[in-house]
Amino acid sequence: MSELSVDHLLGIKYLKEEDIQLIFETADHFKEVINRPIKKVPSLRDITIANMFFENSTRTKLSFELAEKRLSADVVNFSASQSSVAKGETLIDTVNNILSMKVDMVVMRHPNPGAGVFLSRHVNASIVNAGDGTHEHPTQALLDSYSIRERLGDVAGKNVVIVGDILHSRVALSNIFALKLQGANVKVCGPKTLIPKYITSLGVEVETNLRAALEWCDVANMLRVQNERMDISYFPTTREYTQQFGVNKKILDSLDKEITIMHPGPINRGVEITSDVADSKQAIILNQVENGVAVRMAVIYLLASKIKQ
Amino acid sequence: MNILLKAAKIIDPSSEHHLKAKDIFIENGVISKIEDEIAPGTETKILSIKGLHVSNGWFDTSVSFGEPGYEERETIANGLLTAAKSGFTSVAVNPNSNPVIDSNADIGFLKNKALGNAVNLYPIGALTVNSEGVDLSEVYDMKSAGAIAFGDYQKSITNANLVKIALQYVQNFDGLILSFPSEKKIAGKGVVNEEVNATKLGLKGIPALAEELNIARDLFILEYTGGKLHIPTISTAKSVQLIKEAKEKGLDVSCSVAIHNMVLTDDVLNTFDANYKVLPPLRTQSDIEALITGVKEGIIDFVTSDHNPIDVEWKKREFEHALYGTIGLESAFGALNTIFGTEKTIELLTKGKERFGLNTSKIALGEKADISLFNPEETYIFDKENIYSQSKNSAFIGQGLKGKVIGIYNNGQLITNE
Repeated sequence: MSELSVDHLLGIKYLKEEDIQLIFETADHFKEVINRPIKKVPSLRDITIANMFFENSTRTKLSFELAEKRLSADVVNFSASQSSVAKGETLIDTVNNILSMKVDMVVMRHPNPGAGVFLSRHVNASIVNAGDGTHEHPTQALLDSYSIRERLGDVAGKNVVIVGDILHSRVALSNIFALKLQGANVKVCGPKTLIPKYITSLGVEVETNLRAALEWCDVANMLRVQNERMDISYFPTTREYTQQFGVNKKILDSLDKEITIMHPGPINRGVEITSDVADSKQAIILNQVENGVAVRMAVIYLLASKIKQ
Repeated sequence: MNILLKAAKIIDPSSEHHLKAKDIFIENGVISKIEDEIAPGTETKILSIKGLHVSNGWFDTSVSFGEPGYEERETIANGLLTAAKSGFTSVAVNPNSNPVIDSNADIGFLKNKALGNAVNLYPIGALTVNSEGVDLSEVYDMKSAGAIAFGDYQKSITNANLVKIALQYVQNFDGLILSFPSEKKIAGKGVVNEEVNATKLGLKGIPALAEELNIARDLFILEYTGGKLHIPTISTAKSVQLIKEAKEKGLDVSCSVAIHNMVLTDDVLNTFDANYKVLPPLRTQSDIEALITGVKEGIIDFVTSDHNPIDVEWKKREFEHALYGTIGLESAFGALNTIFGTEKTIELLTKGKERFGLNTSKIALGEKADISLFNPEETYIFDKENIYSQSKNSAFIGQGLKGKVIGIYNNGQLITNE
């Protein structure tokens, strides 16, 4: 397979397993590129990309922008606070205005689930979803799987537990789709209040005991508790959350194998994981960040080559 | 003008002509002859249409027209014309306008707007002032002006004591209370059915529990207070069961189901198309089966289009930001006829007017002609060109339907969609 089966990256659930492998093989090449003294290739000199962030983001936005620039694409940035959205303009109008300035691709983060899918149906550009509400964050899931592959050789057959706020997490959802597609075994772990009632329909198991989850897994992906998305308290206090679902060095050392710790960031140190875990050699958190650039380069490169056809 | 319907098959089990094709002569708005063959006189409009069927006029218990205040969604004039072209001679209009219909004068406004229309407009008054759920509005005064029932459309009554007081208060004048079934805190910020699809799509779910809990609460209150309660648009299998048990207990409760909740499941949400954003949300196939069984067994008293025109500015946007509602008058007959067949569909569309204090019409000599005209055999794909409403927000676009409406005759006026 030499090209993606899709024209947009809207979510992992719209991809095939071969798409993921193609993205990873392409990312392998770009990872080598970004470790050269000259970290840049001229591939996308004829492509203009708009990064449209309707919701705050630091690392994802930076990662996309670096990926685009290292492919030599022209890049324009836009964030909602400085835009006409505040003046009441609709999403379609905002994006169409930018597209009429001859933009080829839109990387969008948006607070509403399905905003990327909605946009792809109404505007004429390739759309990359950089996170849409509680729906999907496909590039995060791709870089997470890529990092597992890098650390453990393969994703298929591995036991992965996703710990924390599953209910409000696009990262969890995209990771579940990506891991299942590649043949991993997936459990979710957290307080029942933060686990969707119908999550097992996605082929994952629910584990409410952290120790049992950690004993089972090869990889633990620790999610941040998304207080900003909660309309009521789903647990009494952060302190009590940490007592049940926080990972510290003591627990890790008591396991009879060395598991890999991941985190999509930003970390609440001392809540989901303690500092000594975050900074330990078992954690691949910074590898994830580095791989994020290579994976995003791959995604953009592969979608752009479809535009050029 | 006098009208002669040629070879119209009559669907009316109470008539001696049930299932027979007859010529029907309507003179000055009254049925004056029903015979095998009637010769047309002068100044008679002849309606000779292949496959013509006729029944008593259809009634919809829940439509919204926007006016006053939301004329960009729909006006009363075009709303009533849409009803007529969709085969309905009577519609109950919800109070969800701006201002909310919560006073005698507001009811008068609606009645006046519909004066002389072919379609009978029956207003539903808001149960609480401005539909805010705090103070009872002047329900007696509204009843005097022509309101047929009282409810706050899709705003559930969060204060249980208000339900109790309302059910007690309206008993003086045999009033009917509508209580939309949704426990607000459980429903939370949900926008679709809480199930597999909501989980996959990352959309916040409304648990079936929210609906069922509210119904259970209202039924407990009804058992205590007595009075007449109508629960509009139920959508879950367990809700059907709750109503069934209440009826077996002898409680004076009725309920309805929206037609789209019997046709579509939440599987259609994959595209995030806001035309499928409705309240109550589209549920699952097993709910649909329970709802259809409930209708067949008479547990569910009414089927409604829950017609709710929303202009494109409030539909063509991000799913969470779009307003709830679908139009449904135009597709109502075709959708029901596809599920239930003609005789049952006509029964569903004509029964139960007395629940809302309205008279039932009859196809008989000397009766006022209040009839719907249709062809139950015609099949077609429902499309934008089948929409008469000002707003085009139909969840039925692309659905294959069997059964097309020809029009109505009511209040001395013939309206057809030809």
